[in-house]
Amino acid sequence: MPDVVRESVFNLQFPFTRSLGSTLSTFFSALAQGQLIGVRTGGRVIAPPLEYDPDTAADAGTDYVKVGPKGTVSSWTWVPEPTHLHTVKHPFAFAFITLDGADTPMIHVVDAGSESAMAAGMRVEAKFKPTEECAGRIDDIIAFVPAADPSPSDGAGEPYAAPAENAITMLDSFCDLTYVDNTSASTLLWMESLLKGQIIGQVCPMCNRTYVGPRNMCCVDAIPLDESTLVTVPDRGVVTNFTIITPVQYPGQTETEPFVRVSILLEGTDAVMAQQSVLEIPASEVRVGMHVEAVWAPESERDVSDIGNRGWGSGGECIRGWRPTGQPDEPAENFVERMM
Amino acid sequence: MARTENDIAIVGFAQGEMERRSQKTETEMMLPVVAEAIASVGLTKSDIGFTVSGSCDYLSGQAFSFVSNVDAYGAWPPINESHVEMDGAWALYEAFVRLMQGDIDTALAAGVGKNSNSDASTLYTIEMDPYYLTPLGADPWSLAALQARALLDSGRATERDFAEVVARNRASAKSNPKAQVAGDFDVDELLAADYVRNPLRRHDLPPTTDGCAAIILARGKKAYELCERPAWITGFDHRIEAHLPTMRADITRSVSTALAAAGAGVKNGPIDVAEIYAPFSFQELIIRDALDLDASTEINPSGGALATNPVMVSGLIRMGEAANQIIKNGKRRTLAHATSGPCLQQNLVAVLEGDE
Repeated sequence: MPDVVRESVFNLQFPFTRSLGSTLSTFFSALAQGQLIGVRTGGRVIAPPLEYDPDTAADAGTDYVKVGPKGTVSSWTWVPEPTHLHTVKHPFAFAFITLDGADTPMIHVVDAGSESAMAAGMRVEAKFKPTEECAGRIDDIIAFVPAADPSPSDGAGEPYAAPAENAITMLDSFCDLTYVDNTSASTLLWMESLLKGQIIGQVCPMCNRTYVGPRNMCCVDAIPLDESTLVTVPDRGVVTNFTIITPVQYPGQTETEPFVRVSILLEGTDAVMAQQSVLEIPASEVRVGMHVEAVWAPESERDVSDIGNRGWGSGGECIRGWRPTGQPDEPAENFVERMM
Repeated sequence: MARTENDIAIVGFAQGEMERRSQKTETEMMLPVVAEAIASVGLTKSDIGFTVSGSCDYLSGQAFSFVSNVDAYGAWPPINESHVEMDGAWALYEAFVRLMQGDIDTALAAGVGKNSNSDASTLYTIEMDPYYLTPLGADPWSLAALQARALLDSGRATERDFAEVVARNRASAKSNPKAQVAGDFDVDELLAADYVRNPLRRHDLPPTTDGCAAIILARGKKAYELCERPAWITGFDHRIEAHLPTMRADITRSVSTALAAAGAGVKNGPIDVAEIYAPFSFQELIIRDALDLDASTEINPSGGALATNPVMVSGLIRMGEAANQIIKNGKRRTLAHATSGPCLQQNLVAVLEGDE
């Protein structure tokens, strides 16, 4: 027998492709070739470069300067237990590193083996990935490591002639966050009812509205609703609105043909169940005013693991969809003004 | 000084349970707090002229949770409402500016954060510079630690100073029924703990807190109708610094706080109590330095963010606590501070005054 889900872990993942603009394109194109650069603006060299001078908001220009690959640590911290987002998987340092030829520090990883090796003033040098693996990203530098030779970097401070066209103009990034959500008391009630094959709601004692799916509050009167307000409502009602969706094949989309999603006002209630699917008839035959009834999954196949805290109207994997009852339609004009 | 219809005051403050893990959604957390704040000044929801909240969907991981949260206001018929993806202190600033238009005389500002759904050490990497910092997984603890190390190396503070800030705040928190981490802590024992990010230990970091708070503002005569001793906002300013912490001339000084304090008129008189939002222990030292307060000013009698830190709410709580020092404790002049962004990037300062 399936059970309610009290806590759910989910990953929020999405890709971004960012355009870099001229200054950052110049920086990352040079970086992919193993060359660090800064920009001279406002009488100092900012490295890595910015498009604007943060002190004045003036255009930072294109007076590019070679910096590094060695630099000096001005502040540091130690990460004893890296997360999955850190680029180095063993204990490492983050540091402010002022590259030779630059006047402002950058933040990067220092891989020095142990915390005791770290100190302000230490000389470090950039350790790049193999050239063929460099993609024009800040992590093309695997880490800074203690400089074998602390003497100044060759060529630091010399002008850098940017190519007419940059090889790197875009940055692919990927967001990957993990959440652990706990199911609220009202959502647990909803899950329990669906597993039993019942639809429940709550009646506000102030405005008398019947909400489908308990929320433990009336969102019109802003008062809490307790379990004494719970009611079981019919699993049949009328379509109040619909849309036909032509699916775009984004990640996670399982539909391939145009499909319909409807809002359903259950008998005796005041809030629709939204985003419901219709079974047994083609999408083109769905009408506002049409009577429908729930098609329940067999008890053993019911599942509420996809119902989150805001899935008030969702039937999860308990309600397969809704089928026409064959009763004569209600007049559509009775529903077109509905908002909820 | 006689108040005019242009003067705006905090007249009511409510805060909900502050806990490590709430079993409620953000909307459910807000409902009783908003109701309590409105009822505390004898109003009903339809009396509120403007409503604004601060929250961030990335904390709970629920897209458009800030829209669901409108349910907590009972926003039907439709209300005049706004939202900032910032701490509720900035929502309060928007409400303050809205009241200055003069056509309404009450406003509600709320903050809510369900922080326990996410992991601070990974979540906040996505608010950093997306080209130079996010790809490295630059986390807020590491960035704070880089600032702390620089402060130590400046010679103006020691790790013992950090621990003393923690011990004092947690001891003050004993008298705050909403505090999450409170008690007497021995500084030597605190200093014996391992580093989370050298030179920061676990106690130098804020706790993870789920919570909500709400404040009622009123303008002119309305403030006296709703509150015997309103906390008049006589100065209010906020300033921001460069996005990359490495672009600041001196990371151990908070120029934005000093400018906001000057803009808010902090030096126009003595400050009896200051509520400072310093999420990391050593940042209280930097903020105090920038505010240039007298030794007589009491700092964080509530215990501050080291005792209770619902992100998106902590700054608003500082406003409420500073106001209650006037409304309930008869203090004359108090200060509230809020911060946002890595290494104290953005800072807000308000000066509150009670009548003579």
